[in-house]
Amino acid sequence: MSTKSYQNKIANSRAIAEPVWIRWLLIGGALAYLGLFLFVPLAAVFTEALRKGFETYLSAFSEPDALSAIQLTFIAALVSVPLNLVFGVSAAWAIAKFNFRGKSILITLIDLPFAVSPVIAGLIYVLIFGLQGWFGHWLSDHDIKIIFALPGIVLATIFVTFPFVARELIPLMQAQGKDEEEAAIVLGASAWQMFYRVTLPNIKWGLLYGVILSNARAMGEFGAVSVVSGHVRGLTNTLPLHVEILYNEYNYVAAFACASLLAFLALVTLALKTLVEWKTAQAQQPELSQEST
Amino acid sequence: MNLNLQPKHTVLPGFTPALGFTIFYLSLIVLIPLSAAFLKTSLLTWDAFWATVTAPRVMASYRLSFGAAFIGAAINAVFGLLVAWVLVRYKFPGKRIIDALVDLPFALPTAVAGIALTAVYAPNGWLGSILEPHGIKVAFTPLGVVVALTFIGLPFVVRTVQPVLEDLEAEAEEAAVSLGANRWQTFTKIIFPAIAPALLTGFSLAFARAIGEYGSVIFIAGNMPMISEITPLLIITKLEQYDYAGATAIAVVMLVISFVLLLIINGLQWWNAKRNGSIK
Amino acid sequence: MMSIHINNVRKNFGNFSALNDISLEIPPGELVALLGPSGCGKTTLLRIIAGLESPDSGSISFNGEDATQRHVKERQVGFVFQHYALFRHMTVFENVAFGLRVRPKATRPSDAEIDRRVHELLDLVQLDWLGDRFPPQLSGGQRQRIALARALAVEPKVLLLDEPFGALDAKVRKELRRWLRRLHDELHITSVFVTHDQEEALEVADRVVVMDKGKIEQIGTPGDVYDNPATPFVYQFLGNVNLFHSRVHAGFARIGELEVGVPGHADTQDTPALAYIRPHDIDIQRQGNKDTLKVKVSDIHAIGPIVRLELEQGDSSEIIEAELTRERFGELNLVRGEEVFIRPRKLRVFLQ
Repeated sequence: MSTKSYQNKIANSRAIAEPVWIRWLLIGGALAYLGLFLFVPLAAVFTEALRKGFETYLSAFSEPDALSAIQLTFIAALVSVPLNLVFGVSAAWAIAKFNFRGKSILITLIDLPFAVSPVIAGLIYVLIFGLQGWFGHWLSDHDIKIIFALPGIVLATIFVTFPFVARELIPLMQAQGKDEEEAAIVLGASAWQMFYRVTLPNIKWGLLYGVILSNARAMGEFGAVSVVSGHVRGLTNTLPLHVEILYNEYNYVAAFACASLLAFLALVTLALKTLVEWKTAQAQQPELSQEST
Repeated sequence: MNLNLQPKHTVLPGFTPALGFTIFYLSLIVLIPLSAAFLKTSLLTWDAFWATVTAPRVMASYRLSFGAAFIGAAINAVFGLLVAWVLVRYKFPGKRIIDALVDLPFALPTAVAGIALTAVYAPNGWLGSILEPHGIKVAFTPLGVVVALTFIGLPFVVRTVQPVLEDLEAEAEEAAVSLGANRWQTFTKIIFPAIAPALLTGFSLAFARAIGEYGSVIFIAGNMPMISEITPLLIITKLEQYDYAGATAIAVVMLVISFVLLLIINGLQWWNAKRNGSIK
Repeated sequence: MMSIHINNVRKNFGNFSALNDISLEIPPGELVALLGPSGCGKTTLLRIIAGLESPDSGSISFNGEDATQRHVKERQVGFVFQHYALFRHMTVFENVAFGLRVRPKATRPSDAEIDRRVHELLDLVQLDWLGDRFPPQLSGGQRQRIALARALAVEPKVLLLDEPFGALDAKVRKELRRWLRRLHDELHITSVFVTHDQEEALEVADRVVVMDKGKIEQIGTPGDVYDNPATPFVYQFLGNVNLFHSRVHAGFARIGELEVGVPGHADTQDTPALAYIRPHDIDIQRQGNKDTLKVKVSDIHAIGPIVRLELEQGDSSEIIEAELTRERFGELNLVRGEEVFIRPRKLRVFLQ
């Protein structure tokens, strides 16, 4: 919306518009850069995957190792995303609707995983749960496997997707204020009724946005998962790790076939994300036009 | 950390459980595991720690990681600004799709980006085969690292500069023109100062992200010690050799640098918000 | 109908004292305005009555029963928020129905009953035709009335309104003001509203509570507070006023050459004081005597039924404002720059 009105303003203002040839020069420069770093590599994924025909492409997915990798990837996302969703909502509720000391420190700490290299994210869990780690002996005595097993993969995935939902919700809920919730309480709603009937409908698009982003990251995480997985084929390999193994075995077509699946997932994510952005913009639209009446 | 658990009186429910769960989960997933790295390192003597983190091979990896991350972030600052400018100000076919695709590096798994970039920039790849005859080798050289780090940092500058450009008032530019400024003067004296904090924020975000990047780099880098080996890879190599102390020592160095960067970025964002009047 | 007693309420936000020992009694069925500049504590007081905030000390009682610890849900108050706080994702109908729908099963009315009640309320606020709309599609005045209908749906014993007309433009404001007054005359529900607009408070309320800096300055009927302000603050806050430095001695106030009798200050000996005179309490004369002050007409605004004069007094740079009817203005035939004499018909002094 704001883009559009701004463009109209710019378009209508002859004084501050660039000559046409400069415009196209700039557009050309931007497209060349995006092409070199984005579009060409993206196209390469699908081209390489289909290099030996569609049947070879499909056969990459019928392999049991590939299937189990897909399955593991889904499980990791299915566990970590809902956990981070609950965390995101409660963190945003406390931070956006209440005042307390140490709030800005808390916000910074929630951002911390964004600043940590994925490799280090994996490493810290190895230090705690690995054989030489704090709980290593105890765990192996009780025959519990965390590192080089599913729990480790899930933990690493949770870590790298930790801030997404909270980051999305905190500014949104801060902007919405607490008037509506207070109104619900004054009108007699219980805590649950207030949350379910008033808060949740107001944040649903932001929530979905956060879920879409953290899901994409959860399914695609490589570095952190690589450290904790142990790369056991058919057992602890997620799809991105499977891609690496195939690639290192020079099985390029299969590697790119699996990669194309992940790339497709990324494109779906972007499409959903754009849709959600469009929906939120729509939700705000009538309100904006309202202000002027 | 000084968290006061008593908020000012409010009728809204759920503060204590919400904050309680938040701190519990944050500690469990992030704070305790991160402190494990520092505790593990504290077992080393200072000399052993220093020797580990300043070994020639490690130093070479810092130079590559930080140098390539810096160059990648700088490329993104220049071209990201260009992309943001073009997306905000001009109309051209396919704009909406391109706008959506800018976020691809956020959504695309890094391993996929890594093998795709390698395929494109390898000597027999689409772009590599064009560059090769001119003596430019990208894949399996430090230049490949720069390419990968540019890719993964691409959305940051665009996405931080874009909203600021959108909120710029056309009137301010018109005023500048009416006072006799030409287009270039208007840009350098009116527009650029307004977007500078956002640009710097975007640059720092891209830089911070690139330092720790692993997945997209290892395929295209060639991973030769002293030449094209990034620091995160060195951590993994040490782990695979069961040198936990060595791996952790290097990790701690990176963590400290990342935290400092995070603080700088927070400061920049605060500055940016203040500039745009969204902080009261 | 419910009476409200506020006893010695204090509230601090950090070092800031929002309410400083407030006591106030609101009789059943009255429409009371809390009037004051922003930051005077009026909204905090309203939120404490509602139970949205709790006082640091002091108590609130409804009908003589202590309600200080009672949760907002059990206070049976209707609260209309300054920015309405309508649920933006619900239709107007669902907004009004909300308070009924969230009741526990045992006391929840049937759907048909809810339907009937909501339509009744929408009728009452004259917006029955808007039931299917969403709040963002309404104008400010419509949102205000829906917010009121929603608050009334739970049949509150007390209605509390925070700056009910604050966000509206001048014309809608006037209309809604009259409408709220009529609605109150119909329903006779004990109501308190907060405003910073003196005209609004004086026109709508049965009683006005003027507040400043966390304290009550005066409580009284609109006529009372306007004609007999209890403190200099109330004098200045309600309507225009001219301020004169004077000395009070033995029952007389001296302003320059002018001497005016001030009954009630007979025993005062040579004390500095401030004298307040409303512009419409100034009489203009052609002839001077000992009860008048010589001034120069520096400007004339003759628009509308009232003519406003700006007058300069001798060497002082301060401007005196006077108001007179068009008729009187015509009689006097004043022109800018000429010298005339003023005589205060009524003045009030506050010793310093």
